Amino acid sequence: MTDLEFNICVDDYSDGVYRFILKISKNKEDARDIVQTAFEKLWVNREKVETLKAKSYLFTVAYHLMIDQLRKESKIVMTDSFDENTNAITQGSSELKQLLLEAINNLNPTQKSLILLKDYEGYSYQEIGEIMQLSESQVKVYLHRARLILKNKLTHLEKMSA
Amino acid sequence: MMINEKNYETYFMSYIDNELNAAERAAVEAFVLTEPKYAVAMAVFEKAKLHASSNELIEMEDKIFLYRFPEMDAKLDIDFKKSLYRKEAPVRKIIFTPNLMRASFAIAAMLIIFIGLQLFKSESNILESPLSESALKDKTTVASTDILVPTENKTLANAAKGTKAILKIQNKIQNENQTIIASTNNTSSSINTSIVGASKNQASSENDSQNVLVAKFNEGQISSSAMETMATEEEKTMTSLPTNYKEIDTEEEDRTINIGMLEIDGAAFRGITRKFSALLKRNKIEKEK
Repeated sequence: MTDLEFNICVDDYSDGVYRFILKISKNKEDARDIVQTAFEKLWVNREKVETLKAKSYLFTVAYHLMIDQLRKESKIVMTDSFDENTNAITQGSSELKQLLLEAINNLNPTQKSLILLKDYEGYSYQEIGEIMQLSESQVKVYLHRARLILKNKLTHLEKMSA
Repeated sequence: MMINEKNYETYFMSYIDNELNAAERAAVEAFVLTEPKYAVAMAVFEKAKLHASSNELIEMEDKIFLYRFPEMDAKLDIDFKKSLYRKEAPVRKIIFTPNLMRASFAIAAMLIIFIGLQLFKSESNILESPLSESALKDKTTVASTDILVPTENKTLANAAKGTKAILKIQNKIQNENQTIIASTNNTSSSINTSIVGASKNQASSENDSQNVLVAKFNEGQISSSAMETMATEEEKTMTSLPTNYKEIDTEEEDRTINIGMLEIDGAAFRGITRKFSALLKRNKIEKEK
């Protein structure tokens, strides 16, 4: 990977990696540090990493850094702080979207990561499995379980709001 | 593929995850149309999906720090880098610690003692030449006493003769140097043997015990008087030696100090000592501060 290709990767993937981490870690500083570290690692290993695999590499590194960070800070249990951040970010979005984000906040980090990687980044089960070091079938099962939780939560919230 | 009441949710989720092939997707779409509740279920799953468009509102700040440029990894040549290395030279600062102070005082004291000894030696050298003769005398006297001891153990009459002979040899030795002393000792020993021989002859010829006793008594007197004579002569030589004492005027500006073979200008030496004492005093004051 050349420096030009690397900088294209920065343009294309840095926001995505940052969003992915921010929505799980709920901390802007942590998310920024993780993104920084992920790109540092990509630069160090630029000779080994193919340009086409750079995105997957960045998400993999970032995801594991985030999990380590969460383990260190024991932030596995979700708090309401993310709501404030996301509320500010998603200002002007529909009520349904806010309900959905609220429902996502109640998922565990693995389920949340699966949803984010699938819906926002559009990764396949196989790619998500590579990033999160899970088998394809595991990804499918965990993701479907998360979607059912979201569906039920959303149905419940809609009923409550109605 | 068979979609039914039991597995339709799995198929619906795979559909929205875009994990089905074209045939499977068509089968799911057909199944949804079979009953309205499946359409509602599919709509709920669609709602539960996040859309990438809403995610684009979040952007990373300070993205500029992530960019890399070739200049950022530019490296200098190793040889050039080596030329930039600098080694700080150790600063040698004399600090008068208590131990160093003691050591410097000790060195100064040793120097003073050495200079004093050298001065004393130079003074004694002045007296050396007149004393040499007396030293020779002492040596010859010792040699003659050595000769006297065995003769006293022999007959006293013969010893009297021997003493006379020794006195004669002593007079001769006084005018000779140290190298001649060895030969003199030889001659004295030969004389001693001749004395012994003579005493034997005399003893056999007289063969009278009374005479021997008188001779012994006389010999005692003679030998003692001979010793006294030697002592007085030595005293005379000692008293006759010239005494050379040099008076040093410490206030004299152009006086010189002799340290062994070295000749030092007095004023310069005094200046050095004053500077040294001033340095020590200054250090002491600084230390007290």
